[in-house]
Amino acid sequence: MIATLVLLLRLLLAIALYAFLGWTLWNLLREFKQQSDKLATQKKPGITLSIKPDQGSESKRQFSQPEILIGRDTKCDVSITDEALSAHHARLTYHHGQWWLEDLDSTNGTFLNREKLTTAAVVITGDHFKCGNTVFGIQVEDSDGLSLRDAFELGGLS
Amino acid sequence: MNRVTQGSLLKLAAAFLFLQALIITLAPAVRARTWDVDYRLSHWVAFFVWGLFVLRAHQSIVRQLPDADPYLFPMTSFLSGWGLLTVWRLDPAFGTRQAVWLIVSLLVFLFGLGLPSTLDFLRKYKYVLLSGGLLLTAFTLIFGTNPIGYGPRLWLGCCGLYFQPSEPLKLLLVAYLAAYLSDRIPIRLNAIPLLYPTILLSGVAILLLLFQRDLGTASIFIALYTIIIYLATGRRRTVVISLLILVFMGVAGYYLVDIIRARIDSWANPWTDPEGSSYQIIQSILAIAHGGLDGRGPGLGSPALVPVAISDFIYAAIAEETGLTGTVGLIAIFSILLIRGLRAAIFAPDIFRRLLAAGVTAYLGVQALLIISGNLRLLPLTGVTLPFISYGGSSLLTSFVALLILLHISNHVDEEPAPLPRPQPYYALGAFLCAGLFVAALANGWWSIVRGPDLLTRPDNPRRIIEDRYVPRGELLDRSNTVINGTQGTTGSYSRVYEYPALASVTGYNHPIYGQGGLEASLDEYLRGTRGNPAAAIWWNHLLYGMSPDGLDIRLSIDLNLQQRADALMEGQRGAVVLLNAQSGEIFVLSSHPTFDPADLNELGMEINKDPDKPLINRTAQGLYPLGTVIRPFAQAVTQTELQSAYEAFGLNRAPLIRMPVAEPVTDTNNGQDLHVSPLQVALAAAAFSNHGDIPAPRIATAVNTPNDGWVVLPALGAPRKALPAGTADETAQSLIVDGQNYWSHVGEAESDESPITWFIGGTPPNWQATPLVVVVLLEEDNVQLAEEIGSELLTAAMNP
Repeated sequence: MIATLVLLLRLLLAIALYAFLGWTLWNLLREFKQQSDKLATQKKPGITLSIKPDQGSESKRQFSQPEILIGRDTKCDVSITDEALSAHHARLTYHHGQWWLEDLDSTNGTFLNREKLTTAAVVITGDHFKCGNTVFGIQVEDSDGLSLRDAFELGGLS
Repeated sequence: MNRVTQGSLLKLAAAFLFLQALIITLAPAVRARTWDVDYRLSHWVAFFVWGLFVLRAHQSIVRQLPDADPYLFPMTSFLSGWGLLTVWRLDPAFGTRQAVWLIVSLLVFLFGLGLPSTLDFLRKYKYVLLSGGLLLTAFTLIFGTNPIGYGPRLWLGCCGLYFQPSEPLKLLLVAYLAAYLSDRIPIRLNAIPLLYPTILLSGVAILLLLFQRDLGTASIFIALYTIIIYLATGRRRTVVISLLILVFMGVAGYYLVDIIRARIDSWANPWTDPEGSSYQIIQSILAIAHGGLDGRGPGLGSPALVPVAISDFIYAAIAEETGLTGTVGLIAIFSILLIRGLRAAIFAPDIFRRLLAAGVTAYLGVQALLIISGNLRLLPLTGVTLPFISYGGSSLLTSFVALLILLHISNHVDEEPAPLPRPQPYYALGAFLCAGLFVAALANGWWSIVRGPDLLTRPDNPRRIIEDRYVPRGELLDRSNTVINGTQGTTGSYSRVYEYPALASVTGYNHPIYGQGGLEASLDEYLRGTRGNPAAAIWWNHLLYGMSPDGLDIRLSIDLNLQQRADALMEGQRGAVVLLNAQSGEIFVLSSHPTFDPADLNELGMEINKDPDKPLINRTAQGLYPLGTVIRPFAQAVTQTELQSAYEAFGLNRAPLIRMPVAEPVTDTNNGQDLHVSPLQVALAAAAFSNHGDIPAPRIATAVNTPNDGWVVLPALGAPRKALPAGTADETAQSLIVDGQNYWSHVGEAESDESPITWFIGGTPPNWQATPLVVVVLLEEDNVQLAEEIGSELLTAAMNP
């Protein structure tokens, strides 16, 4: 009699354990969904690059993805036939509310406003950088009402 | 949002612990199978302490770290509550201490919630903190003690409070490495010299622990160092080098350090020394096996049988009482905790906090993996604690500080995560920890489901002895249902009584320390109730009590009247008497002298093994004696000069098939190829003369009293066989009848290594109308007259009931 009662309690105990786990997983799933929704609706400011090869005319390209790869390789987002360019030369990424430029260990280096780039650096409208013999001008779209100056200061890099 | 999630999870955790505490309260009643018992109540203190402090901590977290991960605290609270109740259930004294430590840990935790979430002070004082930790650990080399009075002296203690500095040292090492590496990460870490300070300090820590012989903690240090360097540099090389170092150290340790060799040997071959060095691991596996899928229920198992169940083997204790169902849940909770810890690392706003969170998670994960795998025999045993669960104040406190660090690091909403150029090592760490836990769950399933049923029947499973006290063992009865070996007492105190101790060499004994012998051993399954009972009843009783149903009585073919007569005749002699029904093979008398009284086993102990009289040997079936001249009528009957054909024809060269321990006949090569056989074999062979050439299949256990069908016949194991043509058998028997006697008989003599042997065989004549009988008397002396006297008196008595 008592053993049957305790057996019932043991069953409830197992149910409580798995209810705890189930509820955890349910919450995790909900959190996952919320975060995906948030990311999906999050706006990323686009960036426009004016590309001026050594010889030839300047062209403008607009990007909406958060990562832009520059290089000679045809798989790069910006693929340029320039002998002085490495296959994967430099990368522009958007995080922490701004666009960052970093050199990908290229042979000839990347120069931001004429200075050689050693670590990733924030770029803003008006900056220009040189990879190989190609010069890029940067124009960042103003979004979310956040001015570029604000973003600069929030990043703590002033 | 976080507040709601964390709160609802804590409520479910409280429900689980409440049910667990309730079951522990009721457990004594289930064991005794009556409501009238002393219920366990003291552990409710643990429940309320847990509830009060967890509620308080929950409120503080919500207020002070509103954006902290809402899963970390419920997971750890669940684990610590589970651990606290388990420790209390195993040992209320240690449970009380653990409750005090939980209060201390949570007070430290509450204080720590107010610290700045940047954890900058850890970064700033990294050398001070680590050196302090090392110094404290070094003190244990001089002032070290062990709270239990023996074993490795890893604690610093005073006035009843003990602290193990190597526990917080693990966290300090993690914090130091994270701080040092994060300061240098922007500089390329190609240069090994940059790692020199970390190698030096970690090396000092590891050497200290090796000096202390705290091998488990030393391996955790090596693992943590490797993991953090790998996370920081992303070089797989570090992992490979570390693994090589670990393997090298293991191999070197195996040949140079005794304790490592002992640990590895007992891990690799546990079954060779189950009572010695492998005792712990075997008891652990038996506990896990006893848990099975469903577990015996909190308070209803016997996990205290495993040494140090409260700390090193708490996983085995939990596995026994909550089964695979419980441990899979426990492993899942650990997995969620680790994943959330790594998530906090990934989203950390700077590299220091990222490395710190990942290192702290690795600390919890590696330690849990090491000890769970040790309990499951996946890895050699290392005496480390199971974080949040095992008994141990320093461990509990350190675990809560680890939780505090993770909560702080996860508590940020405005800051974006730091860039993560190399995510690979973090995935690898998560995958490694989760895969390890998954393998542990599989191993748990292997022991509790696949191997469990077999393992539990091992005679060294101490749970069988407990079961003997709670479940009445079946009785051994003679052919007219007179009790020979019975059971007395009530639930919880059943014990064996031996009503007719003169038969002890045959019926054997069932003793809590010395195990089983004789028929008690060979008929154990029926007597214990695991055989003969309906499968549903066995399953239901196992589910309810973790024990078998009531044992079943067994009726033996023994005739106590004749047996008493034989024993009276054999009083003071050394030898054996067998009397059996030559037709049916039922054995009426098995008298082996000298014998012993199983009731005296407590005092005699294992001394009885050394007794030159060998009373434990059942001389009738386990004693082997040279045949000597007793073979003559058998040889004549087969009319062959070669003795081998007589052995073959009468089955003397094979042990009889019977539900009783018997010895295999052996050929004495030194002494003219003489065969050594048991008196029972000779009796069966002689039965051919009284049974027209047929040898019956011997029977000792004739029926079992089942609950559904009453007495059910236990058929003979073997089959009757024809030894001689009926005519030859009858002629031989006739030729052996001495004038004036109404039975045939023959006397033989032989020389054994120890003493001369006298055989007497006799039986009913071929034309006997009633039950055909055969008697064999064996004396370990040269005394033909006495053998004839005993044989004829017994045979006459049996022929004229």
